[in-house]
Amino acid sequence: MLRALLYLRLTSLKNQIISRAKRLRQLKYLLGALVGGAYVYFLFFLNFGGASGSRGAARTAATQALAALPSPEALTQTLPLIAAVSAVLLLGIVILAWVIPSNSRGLRFTEAETAFLFPAPISRRTLIHCKLLSSQFSILFTSLFFTLISNRWTFLGGNALTHAVGWWFVLSTLNLHFTGAALTLSRLVEGGVSPLRRRLTVLGGLAVVVGLTVAWVWRDLRAPDAEDFAGVAPFTAYLLGLLDHGVLGTLLVPFKFVVGPFLAPDARTFLFALAPALLVMLAHYSWVLRMETSFEEASLAAAEKRSATLASVREGKRVFASTHTHTHARPGPFYLGSSGRPELAFLWKNLLSTATYFNLRVLATAAAIILVGSKWFLTGTTPDIRAARVVVGMISLAAGAYVLLLGPHLARQDLRGDMPHADILKTYPLRGWELLLGQILAPVAILTGLTWLCLLAAALTLQPTGRMALTFTPPVLWAIALGIAAVTPFVGALQLLILNGATIIFPAWFHSLRAAGPGGGIELMGQRLIFVFGQFIVILTALLPASLTALALIFATQWLIGATAAIALATLVVLVVLAGEVWCALWWLGERFDRLDVSSELRP
Amino acid sequence: MIEVSGLTKRYGGFTAVRDLSLAVQPGEVLGLVGPNGAGKTSTLRCLAGIIPATAGNVRIAGHDISTDPVAAKRALAFFPDEPRLFDYLTIRQHLNFVARIYGVADHEAIAGPLLEELEIADKADQLPGELSRGMKQKLAIACGLLHRPSVMFFDEPLTGLDPLGIRRMKDSILKRAREGAAVILSSHLLHLLQEVCSHVLILKKGEKIAHGTLPEISAQFANGESIVSLEEIFIRATGGSEH
Repeated sequence: MLRALLYLRLTSLKNQIISRAKRLRQLKYLLGALVGGAYVYFLFFLNFGGASGSRGAARTAATQALAALPSPEALTQTLPLIAAVSAVLLLGIVILAWVIPSNSRGLRFTEAETAFLFPAPISRRTLIHCKLLSSQFSILFTSLFFTLISNRWTFLGGNALTHAVGWWFVLSTLNLHFTGAALTLSRLVEGGVSPLRRRLTVLGGLAVVVGLTVAWVWRDLRAPDAEDFAGVAPFTAYLLGLLDHGVLGTLLVPFKFVVGPFLAPDARTFLFALAPALLVMLAHYSWVLRMETSFEEASLAAAEKRSATLASVREGKRVFASTHTHTHARPGPFYLGSSGRPELAFLWKNLLSTATYFNLRVLATAAAIILVGSKWFLTGTTPDIRAARVVVGMISLAAGAYVLLLGPHLARQDLRGDMPHADILKTYPLRGWELLLGQILAPVAILTGLTWLCLLAAALTLQPTGRMALTFTPPVLWAIALGIAAVTPFVGALQLLILNGATIIFPAWFHSLRAAGPGGGIELMGQRLIFVFGQFIVILTALLPASLTALALIFATQWLIGATAAIALATLVVLVVLAGEVWCALWWLGERFDRLDVSSELRP
Repeated sequence: MIEVSGLTKRYGGFTAVRDLSLAVQPGEVLGLVGPNGAGKTSTLRCLAGIIPATAGNVRIAGHDISTDPVAAKRALAFFPDEPRLFDYLTIRQHLNFVARIYGVADHEAIAGPLLEELEIADKADQLPGELSRGMKQKLAIACGLLHRPSVMFFDEPLTGLDPLGIRRMKDSILKRAREGAAVILSSHLLHLLQEVCSHVLILKKGEKIAHGTLPEISAQFANGESIVSLEEIFIRATGGSEH
């Protein structure tokens, strides 16, 4: 039976590789593969060679810094600590598997597998073997990928082979543990144990371990003092004393066994580390096989849920597969009458598809909190409060820039989300530009609201001192803030038009990215890179005329009419330029959408 | 009401529809039949303005779909085989949205009886995710009928409907035709066409091989027999294969 399952896996893998190779005949995939391949090469392979690599000139500064960190003596001191900390991390992951179990984590069958394998004359044990076998393919791939990353951590010692095998031990053991935990929890559920009771039991056990450790530290080990924080060596020694002894030390032993092969600095240590790691893995394997419990129902539900989630991602309704599903009806964001501009119908519809907290009431509340909070900040004169004011102001500015520049990639309540409905959209009695304008209104409103909040916080908290205060007087600062606030919707609209325009001008590229869902291979990674780079170039080009005009105007007129008035004048001109660009983009892209042949373009 | 002349649709080197001409008057129901890949869906999508025709002219209620698409689309409704609904809008909100798009001033007065007729009035505040396949289909139909279209295109309208739903759908199509709508529907269910359609057009490999009223088509492929079923006509006309 396992031969048949192996055949299924290998044939699927072979066909996947062949189909991916075949599609490279299409320009979009070929370009994507070239760009993606170059990215991977420069990111990983240029430095591949590990500790003995001699391409120092090509190394990044970060890699050089990492490589230069430990001396051999320091390595012998640091490795046990790294092993202990890694073991603690693994312990944390394992605890999470018990406290917050995922139905799909342990029993990951696809819908096709459940359809073919569950009704087939296969024993439950063989199904588990099938699952373990299936997961080995992804574990092997992930191990290789992680090896590419970890091979640059030259301070660890070892080589690519020991790292790959080490990762394989870690990932395989974790996978076995997840499977065992899922099966055990299924049995507990069958036995009538509630999720709350299960969580309380796990957390109670954890509390006991923590309590015993604290008690042991209190009794046998001294509490940390200033000397322990005097340097790396004393701090390392203190932590090792804590993690290597007592209850915690005993609890971490199997986890240290698991990470042993990966952290082995040389071949001899590696060989010695293999046996304990193998022992832990075999113990897990034995545990999983002994769990004779019904898991089919949970697997079916998980497979259906995963399939629905993936479909949702492919339709562009979600960016990340883990985003929760919206399932509750709610009233419209505002009254939508039967007559009036049809674009507002799209704003109304798309606001309904966002999270409930994107509304005017929340925006006003947040603005009020910022106003009250900043008042307290402004009245405080101690150095601490002044410093905090600067920090809050800078964070607000950075957050505003982040929302404005990267927000359009996340706020997808526009044509990108509605492209699967393109055939219905095209039957509406609307011009392309009307439809496109309507589609981008919701994300523009959301991003503008968020950016304005950040801007408000920054304007209220950032108060220049010294010579800066002479130039950036309060009226000038407010003129700048209001100017930025005024152009924000237009910059957001331009960003969104670029992204929506990409789906109209290159629908086949968009479709291939959407159809792939998350991940999807090196060629799709390359396509995404091309898109991001293209967007960056286009937005820079679009903002350049307005920015240059604004700077020239401020420089030329501030001597005559004052800085505040010059900024206001420049803002007006920038608004005119940006509005013109938005209108041109809407008109041109609208024409393109009208001519878009959804049947021939949206083919993978 | 629907006038098509020389309609051609090509995808690269492949011709899906070749030089198709037809006319459907108010009150007529034209059944579009043909083997898989005959070009039925491409034809319907060209007529509804979803995809551009490579050549030819399409006039909907007197408006050219390529030069005056907004006016033409205001008069038509397209019903795809799979209902395309917005996940976050309830039935009532779908109708509200469509009313604004089409500028249906008295939409609440129309929507109430429409939902009653389609038997989904009690589900008006539910999301599509909470509806069965048939209910979703009914919602899509309600959205299409809200602006009282004079031209309707149905692509496999009975897919996924239960027997009662099929009966209601047939009645609904006939009712709209009696009220003066011009209807084109594509379906593989020949008994539906026999019951609903006044005219039939048979397509094969993108070309029209027969077009006329049911008696005319029957006479064309009867070979001297007095009673010939549409199924038999279809098999004789298409040669019994996709190719």
